[in-house]
Amino acid sequence: MKRRELIKMLGMGLSVAPVSLKAQYALSREKTSSADQKVIWILLRGGMDSLQTIVPAFDADLMNHRRPLTEAILDDLHPLDRGFGLHPALNNLYSWYKNKEMLPVVAVASPYRSRSHFDGQDFLESGLTQINYDSGWLGRALEVTSCQGLAVAHSLPVSLRGRGNVSSWFPSRFSVAEEDLYSRLFKLYENEEMLTERLQKGLETRAMTEEAVDGNNRKAHFTALAKAAGMLLRGEDTPSALTLEMGGWDTHSNEVFRLDRQLSQLDEGMAALKKELGSAWKNTLVVIATEFGRTVKVNGTMGTDHGTGAALFLAGGALKGGRVLGDWPGLKQSELYEGRDLMPTSDIRSWIGSALQQHWKMSDQAMASVFPDLTLNPANKLIS
Amino acid sequence: MNEHHAVIAANRFGLGAKPGQLATAKDNPQQWLLDQLTTPRFSSSYPDSGEILQAFYQYRSDKKRFKEQKMMEKPESAINHVFVTMSADTVGRSINDDHSLNWRLLDFFSNHFSVSGQGRMMKPLAPTLEREAIAPNLLGAFENMLLAVEQHPSMLVYLDNNKSVGPSTRVARKSRGLNENLAREILELHTLGVDGGYNLEDIQELAKAITGWSISRSASENHGFEFRQVAHEPGPRVVLGKVYRNTGQAQGEAILKDLAVHPSTARHVSFKLARHFVSDTPSDDLVKAMTDTWRKTRGNIKAVVAAMVEHPDSWQMEPAKLKTPREFYISTLRATGLALPRARSVVSTLTSLGQAPFGAGSPAGYGDVASSWNGADALLKRVDWINMITRQVEMTQPPLQFARTHSGSLLSEHTAKVVSRAESRQQGMALYLMSPEFLRR
Repeated sequence: MKRRELIKMLGMGLSVAPVSLKAQYALSREKTSSADQKVIWILLRGGMDSLQTIVPAFDADLMNHRRPLTEAILDDLHPLDRGFGLHPALNNLYSWYKNKEMLPVVAVASPYRSRSHFDGQDFLESGLTQINYDSGWLGRALEVTSCQGLAVAHSLPVSLRGRGNVSSWFPSRFSVAEEDLYSRLFKLYENEEMLTERLQKGLETRAMTEEAVDGNNRKAHFTALAKAAGMLLRGEDTPSALTLEMGGWDTHSNEVFRLDRQLSQLDEGMAALKKELGSAWKNTLVVIATEFGRTVKVNGTMGTDHGTGAALFLAGGALKGGRVLGDWPGLKQSELYEGRDLMPTSDIRSWIGSALQQHWKMSDQAMASVFPDLTLNPANKLIS
Repeated sequence: MNEHHAVIAANRFGLGAKPGQLATAKDNPQQWLLDQLTTPRFSSSYPDSGEILQAFYQYRSDKKRFKEQKMMEKPESAINHVFVTMSADTVGRSINDDHSLNWRLLDFFSNHFSVSGQGRMMKPLAPTLEREAIAPNLLGAFENMLLAVEQHPSMLVYLDNNKSVGPSTRVARKSRGLNENLAREILELHTLGVDGGYNLEDIQELAKAITGWSISRSASENHGFEFRQVAHEPGPRVVLGKVYRNTGQAQGEAILKDLAVHPSTARHVSFKLARHFVSDTPSDDLVKAMTDTWRKTRGNIKAVVAAMVEHPDSWQMEPAKLKTPREFYISTLRATGLALPRARSVVSTLTSLGQAPFGAGSPAGYGDVASSWNGADALLKRVDWINMITRQVEMTQPPLQFARTHSGSLLSEHTAKVVSRAESRQQGMALYLMSPEFLRR
């Protein structure tokens, strides 16, 4: 018997099944119209090199700083608006761009100005001017909209923390138990409403993602996780927000090769995500961000070091894409931040905030609890 | 007292009984618990935080030279592995020791003073805090533990106090000034609590008082703590309305000593202890008895724990706590008698179960109520792990007997029935370990 069928069967035998819980779900779904508008937040941990990803090919100073890096990909760049070029590995993202379903924003940064990965990530995820490890911007947004959130992670990342309805899921590294054990567990829990409901829900999630993370794929590659994410979001009563993350961006050395590999995996993952989302894609906003950019100059080991100004990708069927946003600060020595980094020209949170507000149709008041110190520009139309 | 109480003693306050222990505990479960209040012992074969700092500096300078000269072999940090081995060592000792209340208490304070092992420097430092600052002071005055923790490199680095510089000192720069992180968390998390009656100025004053509390750059005594007079903000400080003269390092110490016995601290930490051991919503009466003891003994931890153990509200029959993944992991290995897995496996299993050692990612530590741990995926991870390990157990006794060894008279008829009808001994054991009786305490 397929596990999917088994679960259905087990579920039917579930006479004690928590009717009240079902009712609760229905209630929370009716509370808001944003439940079907999905938000997917993807954090690239380690500091993605924006200058090698959304390449300012028009800037005459680029070659002075990093010729060996740029030359390796220059001829194969996908042409973008304003003379920028997209890294050749990002084929799927480029096709989204052409469909107006993707837009990069250049020269962004959070208020954080030092160069530590962890602090940078925590800043970005908490979305405040001072780190609060127990409150993230997406967590606060879920709280005010009463929507559900899910992290594809071992434990809740800072971005989802708060008082909202959030949980985490990750493929099991343990071999999975036989079905007989589950049916006996349902029997064991027949007087236990909470345990029954959790077991049922856990098995449903597993059945849903089984295909994505089974067999050889269990090692939790990004593509498998992205695929599972798509499966977890489609259909009714699914979370409205989901977080994913991908490491490996700290390219201090051998960057040409490593970044190509990273971006290929990201691109492949994004294609899998879109495919699995199916018709939900048209109501989806994807935000792909990183904690900081990297030094403008290539270093002695054919890589780059921790920097400041970075880039952000907005994507999804809900987006008004096909353009490159963000003011360009220039790459002349005098234009660099502290003489070494890309100068940020806008607060990354203002883009995330505008996109979120328009996508979920949130009031200014609601946004004030998501990004308390930020005033958003309503003229910035990001959602179609 | 009867067998019920022995089962409650072993599980609610400990990490489960070893074979024969329930019989011993039965006569006087409270005394049996109080006898377990001994100092947790660690082996001295691991480097201390001072040595870890030295190894880290060495690694950093090797790496710099490697970058500049591009000729040596790429340096490897000599201390990276200690994060895994030390984290697993604490787990292993909690499993092997006949006593377990003391290890539970250590785990509580390690989470109360939570540090996260993020980054090359914090990773090896994180597991040293509980060994060097918490364990030696576990059963004495809270004041001693507080001082040892706030002057420990692990905490100083985690909350950036090593970089904090008095704003009017000569070493202050535009990019180098006062850092309030540690002071804020001392007041909010470690002592008074968020509603403990302090304000922003108190945070700033405390932050100034502990400027100069830093880490040593060369080999030193005292686990690598160093007071830097040159970074210490001169002048008197006022915290909670009391004036503290500038006595250098002792200025901050005097403030911490007062904070340790402050009524808000007594209430805050007593409440957290009761919530940890007894119930997500402990009775006011219980918290009051503990708070009163705190005041009477000027924060003697052993006395406060004894007040909890001796209070009738701590012995309600119904288990009110869901075991954390760590408690679940440790109590399972204690119960099954399985050999301790390799260090790497201990850490990765705890990570999969949702509670990586030193991985809370917040100075507030891991949550300590059921809602932090009762997610659907979390339950399924427990099932998967139990299913996997019970296959490795060589069982000689029927599973029902195994269940009775651990839950005694608290084993419900229903669970007993499901366990005894299992298709194999292993499955019976798995079902018991996943039963409400074993998941809760």
